[in-house]
Amino acid sequence: MSHTQAVPVSPLKQWWLKWRFHLNILLILIPLGFMPKYFSDAKLFRGEAGLGANVITGIQAGPYTLDVAELRDEAPRRDGPAGDFKVFRAALCKACVNDVKAVYLRIGKPRSLRAAGTIFFGAPYAMATNLPIPPRTKPDAQIWITVEGWDGSMHQASVPLAQASPATVAWLEKKGGKK
Amino acid sequence: MAKSLKKSKSRLWFLVHSWLALPIWFFVLIVCFTGMLAVVSQEIVWLANPDVRASKPDTDAERLSFQQVLNALHEAEPDMVVRSIIQPEGSHFALTANVTFPDGTTPTLYVNPYTGAIQGKSPDFNFQAFTRALHGWWLVPFTNGFSWGWYLVSILGLPMLASLVTGLVVYKKFWKGFFKPVRTGHGSRIFWGDLHRLVGVWSIWFIAVISITGTWFLIQAILFDNHISISSEPIVPVIARDEVPQTADGSPAPRIDLDEAARIAGLAIPGLEINFIALPATAYSHISMGGRGWYPLMVQSAEVNPYTRKVDSQFLLGDRSALEFVTESMRPLHTGDFGGLPIKLIWFFFGLVLTLMVFSGLLIWTKRTAQATAAALKRSERAPRTAPTQTSLEMQR
Repeated sequence: MSHTQAVPVSPLKQWWLKWRFHLNILLILIPLGFMPKYFSDAKLFRGEAGLGANVITGIQAGPYTLDVAELRDEAPRRDGPAGDFKVFRAALCKACVNDVKAVYLRIGKPRSLRAAGTIFFGAPYAMATNLPIPPRTKPDAQIWITVEGWDGSMHQASVPLAQASPATVAWLEKKGGKK
Repeated sequence: MAKSLKKSKSRLWFLVHSWLALPIWFFVLIVCFTGMLAVVSQEIVWLANPDVRASKPDTDAERLSFQQVLNALHEAEPDMVVRSIIQPEGSHFALTANVTFPDGTTPTLYVNPYTGAIQGKSPDFNFQAFTRALHGWWLVPFTNGFSWGWYLVSILGLPMLASLVTGLVVYKKFWKGFFKPVRTGHGSRIFWGDLHRLVGVWSIWFIAVISITGTWFLIQAILFDNHISISSEPIVPVIARDEVPQTADGSPAPRIDLDEAARIAGLAIPGLEINFIALPATAYSHISMGGRGWYPLMVQSAEVNPYTRKVDSQFLLGDRSALEFVTESMRPLHTGDFGGLPIKLIWFFFGLVLTLMVFSGLLIWTKRTAQATAAALKRSERAPRTAPTQTSLEMQR
């Protein structure tokens, strides 16, 4: 330590000694950098950025039409031991809002209404559900939409997962390649 | 000998105290400042935006019930879906209603509690949410569990607690310092030092509250991210399929209205305050409602089955474990939103004082600690074997 005082101090070192404790001002760059993301997320949650990404419009399930989209164009998110999940959103046609009791989503064809998958919740104009993505899902899987009417009727439709969420399929393929 | 050892120990404490916040002083300053703003952000919005005020149409106007408000909203916007209605803490605030329009937008509406009139829509820039996000997690998004910004901010609870403890150790007989005048005219170092000590002793309780609750936020994130739950809150199952009626003509099954649901919950749970009510999110969901009970730091809630009229689930003060009484009290103690405007103003004032503490600490440091550390280093060269100075050397690295 003592020899540092003996050696003539270089301008760089002088600058460092003077300013090192103010360098934490640079931490302000973190919120500044995340600000665009913050505001785009706020817009997404106000519903002003549309239903989501990769919107599939006009899916026909019996007499009802609906739009389905993934909330974000990205791979599933891990929720600890519960597994991997993708948030999907759906919007019912304005005319069928009153007739539809519930809408469900599932990977693969459900065998019955009781196994129709996860339920969409929220206002029918912008519902959401958190869909579990089983680890062994095939990249060519279909996601099945089940619409239940108040009269007990059941109507189904399916779309390829590759169309609804290309990022999920890419993620599955990458996972499959690793095994 | 013993006396000089004690003296050098207190010098060490002093150095620890001086160095605690310094390398991150600006960060701490901004976190304190934004926290101070966040406490009163709701009031700032109230002052700035007339839409959020609950203005009475005339002196003997009565507040509408939840169902009356819902009816008024349906009348004004027949296609709009109302998801929840909330009475913010304080009757001078308008009700807020979370709604969804047919175009998929989901704004918050400000609704007059006396007339049910829609006074306005939440602006695109939500000052309240923004200050809280900046203060709480430095705007770092939550992608997988808690955001790392949350960790960054909440870990400050530890140096803050250490500052308090070391500050009290080095301030001899601090309990005599409550009415010590601040000396002016002796130079700025003396002035800022006196001010730092004076406001410091007055804020002991506040610094303790903020740093302990802040540390709790850190623990909370660690528990959550490791999937450890200490909650005894029941997970409300969806309503069984056979309890939801089918209708022959395909029209929605009749459900009880909000006031009836609130009445049923009130009968089942004496003393249940209802400040918020959420409409069923699916055909198999409950009407959920709740509010603060006699213990203002915690919320009680109930789930009413809209078909069977039963209270299917409830979470009351008595259902909490002793640990939950402590942990659930942490957040309101941090934000000061448990006792109306007076408490908020106290929290705001001491938030300002805390910001000043960081700032005055920095000024004192630039004027003194640099020299004090150099002096301690010189001493350590002379007597390199004494333990405390060893430690101060380590700190220097």
